[in-house]
Amino acid sequence: MSAVPGSAAAYDAVVIGAGHNGLITAGYLAKSGLRTLVLERSEVPGGATKTIELAPGVRAPALAHTVGRLRRSVLRDLDLTRHGLHLIRPEVRAFAPHPDGRSVTFHADLARTSESLRTWSAADAEAYAGFDARIRAIASFLAYIAVSTPADVKAPSVQDAVMGMRLGRAFQGFGSRARREALRSLPMAVADLVGEAFESDAIRGALATRGVQYAALGPWSAGSAAVFLFDSAGNSGGAAGTTAYARGGPGALTDALVAAVRGFGGDVRTGAEVVAVTERAGKATGVALASGEEISARTVVSGTDPKRTLTRFVDPVVLGPHMMWRAGNIRTAGVVSKVNLALSGLPRFAASGGDASSLAGRIVIAQGIDALERAFDASKYGRISDEPYLEATIPTICDPSLAPEGTHVMSVVVQWTPYHLREGDWDAEREGLGDLVLKTLEQYAPGLSDLVTTRQVLTPLDLERDHGLTEGGALHGEPGLENFFAWRPLMGHARYRMPLRGLYLCGSGAHPGGGVTGGPGANAAREILLDLKRSR
Amino acid sequence: MAKRYDAVIIGGGHNGLVSAAYLAKAGWSTLVLERRHVLGGAAVTEEVFPGFRFSVYSYVVSLLRPEIIRELNLPRYGLEILPLDGTFTPLDEDYLWRVNDHGRTMREIRRWSATDAEAYEEYGQLMVEMARFIKPILSILPPDPGRVDPREWLPLVGLAKAFRDLPEKQQAVFVQLMTMSAADFLEQWFETDPLKATMSASGIIGTFQGVRSPGTAYVLLHHYMGEIDGAFRAWGIPKGGTGGISNAIADAARSLGVEIRTEAPVTRVRMDGDRANGVVLDGGEEIDAGVVLSSLDVKQTFLRLVDPSVLPDAFRTEVERYKFRGSSGKVNLALDGLPDFSCLPGVGEHLRGAVSFSPSLEYMERAYDDAKYGHFSARPYIDMIIPTLVDPSMAPPGKHIISCFVQYAPYNLADGLGTWDDQKDAFGEAVLSTIEERVPKIRDLILHMQVQTPLDIERTVGLSEGNIFQGELSLEQLFFNRPVPGWARYKTPVRGLYMNGSATHPGGGIMGANGRLAALEVLRDTKGRAA
Repeated sequence: MSAVPGSAAAYDAVVIGAGHNGLITAGYLAKSGLRTLVLERSEVPGGATKTIELAPGVRAPALAHTVGRLRRSVLRDLDLTRHGLHLIRPEVRAFAPHPDGRSVTFHADLARTSESLRTWSAADAEAYAGFDARIRAIASFLAYIAVSTPADVKAPSVQDAVMGMRLGRAFQGFGSRARREALRSLPMAVADLVGEAFESDAIRGALATRGVQYAALGPWSAGSAAVFLFDSAGNSGGAAGTTAYARGGPGALTDALVAAVRGFGGDVRTGAEVVAVTERAGKATGVALASGEEISARTVVSGTDPKRTLTRFVDPVVLGPHMMWRAGNIRTAGVVSKVNLALSGLPRFAASGGDASSLAGRIVIAQGIDALERAFDASKYGRISDEPYLEATIPTICDPSLAPEGTHVMSVVVQWTPYHLREGDWDAEREGLGDLVLKTLEQYAPGLSDLVTTRQVLTPLDLERDHGLTEGGALHGEPGLENFFAWRPLMGHARYRMPLRGLYLCGSGAHPGGGVTGGPGANAAREILLDLKRSR
Repeated sequence: MAKRYDAVIIGGGHNGLVSAAYLAKAGWSTLVLERRHVLGGAAVTEEVFPGFRFSVYSYVVSLLRPEIIRELNLPRYGLEILPLDGTFTPLDEDYLWRVNDHGRTMREIRRWSATDAEAYEEYGQLMVEMARFIKPILSILPPDPGRVDPREWLPLVGLAKAFRDLPEKQQAVFVQLMTMSAADFLEQWFETDPLKATMSASGIIGTFQGVRSPGTAYVLLHHYMGEIDGAFRAWGIPKGGTGGISNAIADAARSLGVEIRTEAPVTRVRMDGDRANGVVLDGGEEIDAGVVLSSLDVKQTFLRLVDPSVLPDAFRTEVERYKFRGSSGKVNLALDGLPDFSCLPGVGEHLRGAVSFSPSLEYMERAYDDAKYGHFSARPYIDMIIPTLVDPSMAPPGKHIISCFVQYAPYNLADGLGTWDDQKDAFGEAVLSTIEERVPKIRDLILHMQVQTPLDIERTVGLSEGNIFQGELSLEQLFFNRPVPGWARYKTPVRGLYMNGSATHPGGGIMGANGRLAALEVLRDTKGRAA
């Protein structure tokens, strides 16, 4: 496909936001020969996948710290390796230390994981391989769903029928037991999913974290099993989940994507804040920038969240009150904060016995199911638990280039810090949260606080202000069953086409949802290209 | 020689009796066996204290299928449902009082919030439309997702078509109802906290979920699905208590030739090879049967009555991981007079409906938080009704009874709390002090008090873990997963043994749909010929 001759629009496609999904969509569109422009509000592209300079010579992941779920076809299609992306996969996927010095450790190697579980329960050690196989089986089916564009419920097309048949065949090939199992598992609470397989609360808790990550869900919330299972879809994570770093930090993924877009002839402009999608006769005609500049385009693609896209960028008169109401009700309230630490040395976790390799993956601070649930409970009432759930990484173990020799970077995702605080405001609570995180980590790695040379705390309010995430919602809308597949982000608009002709959604708010997968971006590009081909 | 019936039904609850009536109607010789001295299972009326009769467990009706009322001609056998007018939510100094009179309710809600009043109207309309769409599900047989038998899926295709033809707005709402929490769903429309809390309460009744737990919105629809004499959205209490329903069904069944025996506990299902061919009673009596229907829950049926060795391993695993998680208790009070609420003193019409102790969403959610960690709620949600105001025959003249449905009361208590027998008094006290906050003089009125913990419910009614719906109504235990994935069509892996209680689709409540669908399935399976 090539740029349409005679088209009056300056661009074939303008993409709002240079997050990873926006860049991926742009990459695919540019690769198809479309005149493509990506507009980024901040001075640095990347959105939630950025590397920041935490202190002179110390680089840290701004928000997302792992990129293991990135869809393999994206890597290939956009030739990201050639553009400089190098993934590092530590052998330890996740390490969940306990104050008593024991730990639950998930390795890439099944047998080693099983061995580590034996400290907690022999039965659980035996059960692990079966559980892992079960998760992989269900996840392999979900991977089909993730790459599919949800069917048009109102008027299914031939493509929808083909998609349905493909899904049906995949489902068929599954065996009746596994089919029943998949349908039973998705709506479950992750606490039940892991509780049916394992007896040790420590193991249950360590696993269950992936069902609640970034979500306003607790392990006992129905549908958290679906979040867990989707986390394993389309990657080789299995029950343990995947862990991979981009060398140079998550910003390296952004750099590779920008290079790919430019390599295909597309443009990326930073410091260009879109304030409106322009429209004529019910069709998007381009965007207006904060500077007053207007840029015309045949299609407008939004990588920002759907609530922001619809309620801020589109004229409410065009959208109509009902759609405004629906879009305004998309649940985006975030629960995640981020603490980035520059450390003068490697922290010593009692449970790791001084072994750095066990700290190379995700460090999961979660004592068990009840502990997680209690931490979640606090957030329901606008409070932060005294014992939050943390997921930390020390990327410098695998990638020493991030900090001066001998020093380290620790990136901590703090869960269930609600955007809407009952008392106080986030600007006042920021440092208190930083202290709480250090206090929590001290229980597992005594002396860690003394190693801290720089500390950065990003609250949900910061995520909103600095990253344009409405209410700090990192996933652009809650995951789970209510905002899923054919109804993510809105029933009737799950096919990347927004309720304004020519306006598309390519960010995490679209199917298959949040996380650094590139799934929404790649799927959206496919649909946009299909529409453009049809309209010619 | 043992006496032989075409069908023997274990359990004389409402579903067991409904099945029996339908089988007898088809000409089958049918026997119902009830362990207790009274019929009805959880739908019983008992004279707990002299002169005071209580619907000891289940206390209201709303979803009894109209086709059953019609086909079994229940009004002729004494079924009469008296309307409960409205819901009264007492607060510290104020109250929220919704009644069946639409105009009055609108004025009341407007007193709280003008936008809520407007939304209430739109919401009600939408829910009625949703209820119309979803109601057929209650009458269809779930397919087995493990098999691709077009005949099984056909009824769903009709439903899918109907879904496709719904306006997008309703499609969206339907999906939200199936997946959201009651609180999140309602927050899209309303801002008045006691209104949201009281409405959301219907989403959690009988489940081990909170108002903020995903999946609880669906039950909001039940309020709009209930039909009484064809009128949408009315709850009612049966004349003579919920035992009145059971007795009416029993009388209808008897008139069709059903034999009913009480105090006849079944100890096991008798097998002939891999086929159920009768039952054995406590005391050794054996009864031959062409087919056996169990209206007990899956645990009672498959882990107690059936020799587990005849079950396929995969099935047994499913049965063992089936979740009960009883979450509620019951407190029944015999009173010397009517309660006086401090927020609205005096004997008024507000006492004639349900009184809902649900002042805020946070109150509801905190009640759930207690239960998650094995404690009964310090301040529980209470659904209180005063049946004597509608049906004075339940108590001596001038006296009253109060029925309190109490949630949460988790069957499994936290370590250190002992058993429910140890906690029973404290539980009753928590309920009384909760009521006392709204009715300061309640203790002076109490003549008698009966507390039913989940353990009592399990022991007396035979509901495992005291779950009033014979198993948690969570999404993974509904429709084609109920009671066991692949076995949602009333059949079991044991030939000749069927399930017909609340453990099956469409779940619990005094609906009778389970009993009717099971009987029809038995007849279809055997082509109507008694074995």
